Amino acid sequence: MAPNMTTSAACAGDTGAALPPPRDLSDIFVPAMRIHKKSAFKSVMGDPTSTMINMAGGVPHPNTFPILQLQAKVVSPTSRQDKALSPSTANLVLDKSQKNRSTESLDELLQYGAGSGVDSYCDFLKRYTQIVHNPRYADWGVIASCGNTDAIGKAVSLFCEAGDSLLVEKWTFPGALSSLVAAKVQPLAVEMDGEGMDPESLDNICSRWAGPKPLRAMYLVPTGQNPTGATMSLERRQKIYAVACKHNLAIIEDDPYYFLQFAPFSASRSLENAVGAAGLLDVDSGEQQQVDPLVPSLLSLDTEGRVIRLDSFSKILAPNLRCGWITAPSYILDKLQILNESTILQPSGLAQGLISKLLNDTWGLEGWNQHLRNLRATYTFRRNVFVRMVDLHVAGLVDYVLPSAGMFLWMKINLGPDAAEAMPRLLETMKKCGVMMAPGAPFYSSGSSGSNSSSSDCYLRAAFALVDVAMFEPALKRLAQAIVAIRETADYPSAVQNTHTCNVPNAMQKGLLSPAPGKMTISS
Amino acid sequence: MPSKPHSKDLSDLFSEVTKLRKNSPLKSLQKYMDADPTIVSLGAGLPHPDTFPFVSIGSTVAEAGVSVTDSSAAAKAISVSSKQPTAKIEGLERFLQYGNGRGVPSYTRFVQEHTERVHSPLYEDWDVVVSAGNTDAFTKAIALFYQSGDTLIVDEWTYPAAIETVRPMGIRLAPVKMDSEGMVPSELDHLCTTWDRPETAPRLVYMVPTAQNPTGATMSLARRHDIYSVAQKHNLVIIEDDPYYYLQLGSYKPLAEVNDPEDRYKNLPGITSLTPSLLSIDIDGRVIRLDSFSKVLAPGLRCGWITAPKYITDKIQFHNETSIQQPAGFSQAIVSKLMNEAWGHAGWEKHLVQTQRQYAERRDMFVDICQSHLKDKVEFTIPTAGMFLWFRVLLNETASKRKGVMGEIFESMLNNHVLLVPGYMFSPLGQTEEVLDKPYMRAAFSYAAESSFEVAISRLAQALEPFTCRNI
Repeated sequence: MAPNMTTSAACAGDTGAALPPPRDLSDIFVPAMRIHKKSAFKSVMGDPTSTMINMAGGVPHPNTFPILQLQAKVVSPTSRQDKALSPSTANLVLDKSQKNRSTESLDELLQYGAGSGVDSYCDFLKRYTQIVHNPRYADWGVIASCGNTDAIGKAVSLFCEAGDSLLVEKWTFPGALSSLVAAKVQPLAVEMDGEGMDPESLDNICSRWAGPKPLRAMYLVPTGQNPTGATMSLERRQKIYAVACKHNLAIIEDDPYYFLQFAPFSASRSLENAVGAAGLLDVDSGEQQQVDPLVPSLLSLDTEGRVIRLDSFSKILAPNLRCGWITAPSYILDKLQILNESTILQPSGLAQGLISKLLNDTWGLEGWNQHLRNLRATYTFRRNVFVRMVDLHVAGLVDYVLPSAGMFLWMKINLGPDAAEAMPRLLETMKKCGVMMAPGAPFYSSGSSGSNSSSSDCYLRAAFALVDVAMFEPALKRLAQAIVAIRETADYPSAVQNTHTCNVPNAMQKGLLSPAPGKMTISS
Repeated sequence: MPSKPHSKDLSDLFSEVTKLRKNSPLKSLQKYMDADPTIVSLGAGLPHPDTFPFVSIGSTVAEAGVSVTDSSAAAKAISVSSKQPTAKIEGLERFLQYGNGRGVPSYTRFVQEHTERVHSPLYEDWDVVVSAGNTDAFTKAIALFYQSGDTLIVDEWTYPAAIETVRPMGIRLAPVKMDSEGMVPSELDHLCTTWDRPETAPRLVYMVPTAQNPTGATMSLARRHDIYSVAQKHNLVIIEDDPYYYLQLGSYKPLAEVNDPEDRYKNLPGITSLTPSLLSIDIDGRVIRLDSFSKVLAPGLRCGWITAPKYITDKIQFHNETSIQQPAGFSQAIVSKLMNEAWGHAGWEKHLVQTQRQYAERRDMFVDICQSHLKDKVEFTIPTAGMFLWFRVLLNETASKRKGVMGEIFESMLNNHVLLVPGYMFSPLGQTEEVLDKPYMRAAFSYAAESSFEVAISRLAQALEPFTCRNI
């Protein structure tokens, strides 16, 4: 077990004192979920004894599966700087009928399975969740999900039915909002500040709630929030948790950016040193590292079993693996498993098998940790350059949240009293200048789809994960142009020419376009 | 060649939620970038493909049409690599990046071509969209049209996951009688004609027309036409759930009458002699067809596709985008590479024939054994497709009058170490007393070793002995 993967608020492993059971939240399940039964059909399959001849399962025989072996070539995560330019790779193989060390045979991975997911996949993720979050109650587990968008819909459906309301951040993930529309669940917007959801606003809304049905659940993205990029401090999380307990709410913790927490940003560092990040030593030095802990999750504070935590491989391996996992009290996972079995069944066995093999055997925990460290370094670098460019080019024109995790930077721009009228002009002008960002409207949870904030502010979300770092400066210069044009020119956007050429300043060309590897650790 | 007609517009049958589904506003930013690639877009929250640690994925696959158990047979190596697209297949990073809810283009292109080859839809505006298998596809199809309190028409015995999906949605099930070919058209017509409240009239009928689960029944072409006519008469949408479509096996022949196995199996339907699907006779665009790779490649891939008019597949795409997104990129990559390059349409078709062969052999052996060991104990229709046998137990006079007798029979089966599925699990009416005593059970011949068939059926005969008619 790697010693340096836990957070500052948790100890690595418990001393053995028994943990309390979770609080039973069935009283806040929707009625349909309270009677939701395990599939009678599947219980007939049960665990047939070895003498039982099973003519029950309507499943194909592996002799009909034409896939005889599966292989993948993967990057070997490395911390050595001199290996960065030609990273080594490793091969992993899944054999058809033999067990593959920690991972099941391909035949088993390709067969119908239970709605909880492939065993070796879930086993690794349970062990990993234990190390990172060390849940504070007994009888919890993990099941496989096919990504957080699907997981959100399922988790919400436990607590909200048509006509109910779900507490959400004022600005939030549009996929979740669409899911709520489809379920006829009303989003109930809670105010936010630079750290995310405001606990006082949450408390007030709950205390004053006079709707016909009680509020049962809240949904939030506490780390590298989409769209605001905000990350809640430990103190903020503790306050939010206390309010949830006070009002008997379930907490749906959607945390796909959790492992993309950055080293602290220092505005005083020169750009050349920005890559080194703040005070982190090479993990290979062998010396006790100065570490930046991950902010503890809500799960790790969860003494009552209120948190349903949604983790995803989308931002830490790849989005279209369509694999993630949900951590919750076991009796809640049983419900989610039933939901899986009447929809997706489970995520792709191929994907789960490859991930399991990769994490259990090919990389192991050590390689997985190193991979995550490398990701943190990459994202920290991008954030550093991006924020530097924001400061240089649009500082006076926008207010923004300094992101400490994730991939988003959220900007507020004042363009006069009528934001609804100004926003389309801004977007059009930006397009003519040659830059695009996401407008705030799709993230706004208080209005119906398409309508804007009731305030007079215009919002933009910039994503700094995908575009080439060399283009950050041109992009932000063009944004500045567009904002200035709207503010100063009466007759626009025709006054703005299509001026987007790519004049990259010399400083940016001095090989600062990729991060120095291995300069970052995760806390012990 | 005359042009095909446009589909009928059934969007007034859409649920309120479906009418609200639209393209993700963030995905719609893409159109600005496509128009002008000099625009720098910081709009999409996508991770950079350089952070995906997968350099390539590969597989050794059986040559098309070769049995997997034939270890001397040639196999083929296929791979999909990052940043190395081929003429037909995207680079691996494309399969691993966020996309849209329709699917990765090379995958959807293949299934579209295949659908055209096999079903050749009669209306012009049909399209395909990915699913994560038919259970997922079923939930999407239902969600298009249904609200709480609505009624779904189903077979009197049907797929349990479908029953379990709709129950929490507040959807009621109206079963229609079946015969040896499946749903009876006159019964369907009667149900719709005599429905007492026009405002809640059911608008959707769900069926598995080939090798139905659990009864194993396959509708003839004439039956399909009759069902389709009733659907037209009552303006019903048909969900054609067809995972066993390609497992059409031709007629059973007792093994004793077979002189030459090769000769026996040379006339399998293949692709060219399959009973036409409901999609292929769908002139109106009222069939939503669910196809899956689960029984013809492997269930664990979790991928399939849905065929319907484009205005409907668009809605399913938007629904995918707020739920599963799309099937796993690895699954789509392997399937796409296999179908588009390694096998091609011809190879895929050879594989299907080989699969038909394997199931036909099993079916023939199993039916042989059932006919000899279960005489006068059960009756069943010999399936011409799929993997199921649906037994009606011939209860003797005392047994048939006893409440709870089927429970006793299943107990007896467990004691005799043989497992079949009790019929009541397939009843849309749930486990009422009446349903619990219906004398049916389902056997699957797909999985157990063929060498164990005789033992299994002997055990079943033993288990049934005290309850069944005797040969006088």
